[in-house]
Amino acid sequence: MDIAFEIKSYIVDEFLPDITADQLSADYDLIGSGVIDSLGLLKVISWLENHFDIVVDDVEIAEHDFVSVDAISAFVNRAARVPVSDR
Amino acid sequence: MANSSSFLECFAERVRTQPGAIALVENGEPVTYVELNAMQRAAHARITALGLPDGPVAVHAVKSARTIALVIACMRARRPFLLPSAELGATTLETLLTQAGCADVLTADEAKGIPGERVHHIDCVSPVAAAPDQGVPADGDVTFMLTTSGSTGLPKIVPLHAGAVDRFTDWAAQQFDLRPGVVVLNYAPLNFDLCLLDIWATLKAGGTAVLVPHERATNGKYLAELVRANRVEVVQSVPMLYRLLADAAGETPFASVRKVIVTGDKIQPRLLGELPTLFPRAGIYNLYGCTETNDSFLFEVGGRFHRESDPAADLPIGHPLPGVDAVVLAEDGTVVEGPGMGELLVHTPFQTNGYLVAVNGPDRFVPLDANGSNGDGRRYFRSGDLVRRDDRGVFTLLGRNDFQVKIRGTRVNLEEIEHVFLDHGLVAEAAVIGMPDDIAGIRVHAVVRCTESNAVDSLALREHCRLRLPRAAIPATIRIVDEPLPTTSTGKIDRRAIGRTLLNGK
Repeated sequence: MDIAFEIKSYIVDEFLPDITADQLSADYDLIGSGVIDSLGLLKVISWLENHFDIVVDDVEIAEHDFVSVDAISAFVNRAARVPVSDR
Repeated sequence: MANSSSFLECFAERVRTQPGAIALVENGEPVTYVELNAMQRAAHARITALGLPDGPVAVHAVKSARTIALVIACMRARRPFLLPSAELGATTLETLLTQAGCADVLTADEAKGIPGERVHHIDCVSPVAAAPDQGVPADGDVTFMLTTSGSTGLPKIVPLHAGAVDRFTDWAAQQFDLRPGVVVLNYAPLNFDLCLLDIWATLKAGGTAVLVPHERATNGKYLAELVRANRVEVVQSVPMLYRLLADAAGETPFASVRKVIVTGDKIQPRLLGELPTLFPRAGIYNLYGCTETNDSFLFEVGGRFHRESDPAADLPIGHPLPGVDAVVLAEDGTVVEGPGMGELLVHTPFQTNGYLVAVNGPDRFVPLDANGSNGDGRRYFRSGDLVRRDDRGVFTLLGRNDFQVKIRGTRVNLEEIEHVFLDHGLVAEAAVIGMPDDIAGIRVHAVVRCTESNAVDSLALREHCRLRLPRAAIPATIRIVDEPLPTTSTGKIDRRAIGRTLLNGK
């Protein structure tokens, strides 16, 4: 399973009960359309930390990193490339 | 306002001068004035023979010529009559009857299954010797007792005195050219205030009221045929009827209709745009009012004050009717003079003197000098509606006071969100409610029914909202359902029931 599909699956399970992962396009505006609001964002980050074993520092949170499945995938790839010990 | 004429005197005059004219059309069958008069005489004689103790009665409001005859008979018997919705639950009905002091329930239709020992079936059909006349109700005598919709709990009883009803029906007849022979569609259920126009003002004026049976009220094809077959000239309804007619009309417009009165709800711009084609020979009006005050504002579409520069803008409610005083109250309780926004307070010649039973919470009938400058002692009704008055004195409804919620510091109007959903061509019904949330304070939830199953998904609806709403106003959840949304006894969407479902289901 690729990262984008895992993220899609999580988002539809959590926020879009009437949608399947396949229906959610990778560039759909999750923030602008209200799928992920400020509370939702906290849930997404918590899931990313657990699921991909990454640590997201509060100061790193930028809305544009969560605007779409593509953006979240890129964020995970970037975060995962930086070992925690190097910070 | 000039002296009003009494319903009973006018009706008697119609029976005398135009006995063979059609008063009502029920299920395709005409009922003439002389026939309706015979029915009310029979009903009056039988009510009198019951020898009921003094006081109000309830009339089981099944829409029929017989029930209308029964109501006329109650006026003649000088009894106030409660018209509860025929669809109320037994407990609610019982509470209302107790509040209204109605020991007895009269029904013109046998075996309609209403509970209670004090239900009297009044035969309006077989002839009986007439009972002595008791004169006509005085101006200050209560006749109709209507109820509010009860979207926020138990319906409130609104007693109307004869003078208020007579002034209203006279205004309606003059404004919409109701006269002998005019054909008026009656779409609303019999217990609705709208019937004061399309049944009672019509009968007073000597016209014909075409009754839409309750069970066919959503059958567009039937409704279109009814309008055509009876050559209906005046239609008053909530927007839904016009949607149904538009969808059922095909290529043929409704050429007989001369007055189209939209009332009870905001009309969608899309539907409004279709009306001139659908009713090519009609004047189109937006009529605003409520049960407590009856109608208070009127706007003529395409008239002198209609600015069409912004077709997506809400249709104004226009100017106050003759004799109506309107005041805009700012949030701080001061009276807004000239252009501005605030809550609408009205005093009308048609209004109730107050709810029959005092309600909890702040009084909605207020003497204005408590808040503003005008100390004339009149009681104004706090509508709870937010309005804007422009530089020409034209009023526009912005929404309900109580549909305002704050989402993360942003003021959001739930009704506006609903209207955004309804503007989507594939959405049939929408309810948007604010639900308490431990973390967010309030979160917005939407329940939407589409015109057909799977017509649209929540992603498409969110995209639709994203383009039209501030982000805070986009619902946290959008649930798409196939079942019609629950409604209150008067047909408004029941947000409380939907809220309960959301609470339990999630």
